[in-house]
Amino acid sequence: MNKWFFAPMLLLGLSGCSNLSSNDQQLLGEAQASFNRIKNDADILRAAPKDVVRASESLARAERLTSYWGSAEDVQHYAYLSLRYGEIAQQQSLTLLNQERQAQLELERQRLQLTLREAKLLSVQQQTAWLAEQMAMLQGVEGERGLVMTLGDVLFEVGEADLLPAANRTLLQVAHFLQLNPRRKVRIEGYTDNTGSADFNLELSRARAQSVADFLQDLGIAAERVEVVGHGIDFPVAENASARGRAQNRRVEIVFSDEQGRLSAER
Amino acid sequence: MIKPSLCAALALILAGCASDPAPSEQLRLTEQTLTQVRALNISAEQSSGLKLAEEKFAAAQTAMTQGKHREARMLAEQAELDARLAEAEQMHHASQEQLHVLQGNIQQLRKQLGALQ
Repeated sequence: MNKWFFAPMLLLGLSGCSNLSSNDQQLLGEAQASFNRIKNDADILRAAPKDVVRASESLARAERLTSYWGSAEDVQHYAYLSLRYGEIAQQQSLTLLNQERQAQLELERQRLQLTLREAKLLSVQQQTAWLAEQMAMLQGVEGERGLVMTLGDVLFEVGEADLLPAANRTLLQVAHFLQLNPRRKVRIEGYTDNTGSADFNLELSRARAQSVADFLQDLGIAAERVEVVGHGIDFPVAENASARGRAQNRRVEIVFSDEQGRLSAER
Repeated sequence: MIKPSLCAALALILAGCASDPAPSEQLRLTEQTLTQVRALNISAEQSSGLKLAEEKFAAAQTAMTQGKHREARMLAEQAELDARLAEAEQMHHASQEQLHVLQGNIQQLRKQLGALQ
């Protein structure tokens, strides 16, 4: 066998690319561009890892086939499959994001329903009486930081930032108070006991304060009127040595501004 | 030492269309996917993708009876993915609608709360 016989064939085989019509080239280019887009999209990778892998494999196959003579149809086929896998992955990712958003909104809806039920239960007189009492109470603890209201540990899930339904009534009244006093602002400050790492506690205290702020915002209090800060294990109000003292230290404080909207300085 | 590999490459190039096995498994898979997607009650916007899949599948079946195995396989593979895309689009569409309903609910609740206060 003379190996020179094969040389022209080999050349033909290697010149593959030039066998592709501009149409095929375009489809392959689209598939490449599409894959470059999805491979860097974390949501798509999370939602449809298998389809991303298949898109990649099909594309690699299409690219490999460009170097073989007479394979234009195959190139086009695998480019098409790669594009489709990419589109499927993209759609799955959008669906997943929607589902996650839905789960969040579902929680919000439940919370609003509870709050609404609570609000309906309270008669007008009750509200008026409560407000008078609150005002008296608030003035009672007016110190150098202004009016401060303390929400106890029992209003939160243990070790979590989520508010329990028991917090609804109090926070509804705080929201009501802020609606009646539109110039007042609040700063919501989270605190914890000293169990666990300082970082964890700082994050937990901030997240709890944020939960309270979210609640007020859900009830229509403008975000600009609500500041949020986490102090973690700092500024305990009782000894951390006893369980009772620790429970007292786990709290969220709502600091009210004066009637002109001036808040005391942050700690 | 180049010769054997050259021969192999040549064999590959020439083998091409002639020896494609019958893609029965792929046709079965595509049909299964299509059955699944048809059952989804696809909305008008996504139905064009499903229609494309149905057409390609019908063409694949025809090609199969004519012994054009390679063509049948390609058509069936494409039809499967066309159908799966229609399905994924439909799921996305449905999740979007659910989200809208929920957002409407929440707005309604906010309004009611606002009216109480």
